[in-house]
Amino acid sequence: MSDQKTERLINLTLALLSTKRFLTKSEIFKNVAGYSGSAETMERMFERDKDDLRNLGIRIEVRALDPLFEDDQGYLIDSNTFQINPEDFSKEEILLLTMAANLWHQSALKHDSNAALLKIQSLDGSVATNTVASPVVEDSEDSKKLLFIVDAIERLITLEFEYKGVIRQVKPYGIYTRKGFWYLAAEEKDVVKSFKLIRIGERIKSTSKSNAFTKPSNFKLSSFKESLNAPTISTAEIKIRKNQALALRRRYEAEELDSEWDKLSIDYSFEEDLIETLLWYGSNVVVISPKSIRDQIINLVNGLINV
Amino acid sequence: MSDTAAVRALRTMDLIPYILEHPGISINHLSKVFNASEKEIEKDLQLAFMCGLPGYTPYELIDLTYEEGVVSIIDPQVLNKPRNFSSSERVVIALGLEILRELNLANADNLKKIDNLSKKFQDTKGEDLLIMVDQNLSFPFLNIINQAIFETRVLTFDYQSVSKDILSSRKVVPHKLYLQNGYLYLSGYDLQAQSDRIFKADQILNCVIGEKSDAQKFDQVKDEEIVEITVDPENLNFIERNSSIIIEQEMSQGQLLVKLRVSNFDWLKRAILSNAPSIKVVSPRSLALEVEQMASNIVSAYSDQS
Repeated sequence: MSDQKTERLINLTLALLSTKRFLTKSEIFKNVAGYSGSAETMERMFERDKDDLRNLGIRIEVRALDPLFEDDQGYLIDSNTFQINPEDFSKEEILLLTMAANLWHQSALKHDSNAALLKIQSLDGSVATNTVASPVVEDSEDSKKLLFIVDAIERLITLEFEYKGVIRQVKPYGIYTRKGFWYLAAEEKDVVKSFKLIRIGERIKSTSKSNAFTKPSNFKLSSFKESLNAPTISTAEIKIRKNQALALRRRYEAEELDSEWDKLSIDYSFEEDLIETLLWYGSNVVVISPKSIRDQIINLVNGLINV
Repeated sequence: MSDTAAVRALRTMDLIPYILEHPGISINHLSKVFNASEKEIEKDLQLAFMCGLPGYTPYELIDLTYEEGVVSIIDPQVLNKPRNFSSSERVVIALGLEILRELNLANADNLKKIDNLSKKFQDTKGEDLLIMVDQNLSFPFLNIINQAIFETRVLTFDYQSVSKDILSSRKVVPHKLYLQNGYLYLSGYDLQAQSDRIFKADQILNCVIGEKSDAQKFDQVKDEEIVEITVDPENLNFIERNSSIIIEQEMSQGQLLVKLRVSNFDWLKRAILSNAPSIKVVSPRSLALEVEQMASNIVSAYSDQS
């Protein structure tokens, strides 16, 4: 039974894909293998088959064939939407596609990654995946959430999720990374805000159909991102012990201070970031100026003593 | 688990263009690629053999040969090209290309190719991008490390250990490059240390590819210990960044009590200092004392200075 249905679905797809003109239902019933029984039975079979194929993402085009009889519709599958044209991609591009899809094959997106790889490998069998030892993403974040959001951004679907204990209704505009974390730029109550992906609740859902809103034409993700950084650069003077803090020495020019210490000038935008970086080197790095940072470091470190 | 007729139809239709590009492929291989049993693949192929275009004469049916466990397509009919990417597959590719772009920033040639390809996958709706990956992922040794992984060759490089703060020369058989929380890492077998190590890619210098590694598999013992710490709930970043080594966490008296699996104690001690005073060691006691000593050293370094 199931074999028969599978066979009929394949034959229907092939018939609709190979035809140059729209096929009517009666042509389908007459010519496509697998349709039999009363007119009503065949009708029901066809409706179900059509739904099944559509649910799998196969687009069936429908057109009224006779303007006077709207019931008389024709059906067809456009090969340009159903299939990938191998000529659209060079061998080199297929290799890059393989690497791009392969990046995710150990992540929460592995299902989509594998499905995409399979199709890419069907474009050109000579580009074998095992020849591509490309990097992979090992995400601790839930990539499914990422995928869901990117899809909503592309199709202009509104979202609802919990963030910092509050249910938010947003229009998603774009997604970006900063210091290793993903962020969603989205409009909430007429203000564009940033939401850290990892803090967005698990029960995220779409609350509209496609094209539910238009993104303001003056919104640019790149300028939005820049506006968040607001870099005012200050300089700190620090001394570092000889042969220590090598990563800092690679980035900044050291100047000899005495037999034990060298001196560096470091540019920074945020005090907290600088303090975090300098504390990493323990007692091998000492801030000379500004005094505010010296005081903060002493204060913070005292919090670790006699606990 | 049995598939629905529709899912089976789709897999069968995907099999045809795949086999067309891989003539003489084994059923066993197909079952792995398509994540189905060999029996299911065989049944799919028997079914494909019965399908074709209206008319259904031998010239209109899908034709294939299947002998001794290997299969080739003779006539795919209209299934000569793979099915189009679904919307989620397109997103996976678009995101992947963005990351590849970052990795290849140093390589103008590759960059151009990736940009051209991205245009086919990012539905930009205007000029602005929807996705921006901004890491300093640019990594000059990407190609030679990929080559070394594929050919199991030894890499020699200088490594600036961030947790130990020393520069050392390493000989490594690379296993894989991976991205975690936005940073690129190389994992591999360190021939001097005789154990697996993880290297932060941006701290790798002067990397050259060397001879083929004859070692098949390396046994290694992972020295891991369970560490218990408390973290101020304000400092979620630490938790989020290191979720891969966190075993347990619970709230207790306004603090997050966290159990970690740690192999690199130098890293942990520095991370605690960096996050001072929001992380405190509960156990082991020896670690708590070491951290306290390091903190005291900082305070005395500052008092010497003034």
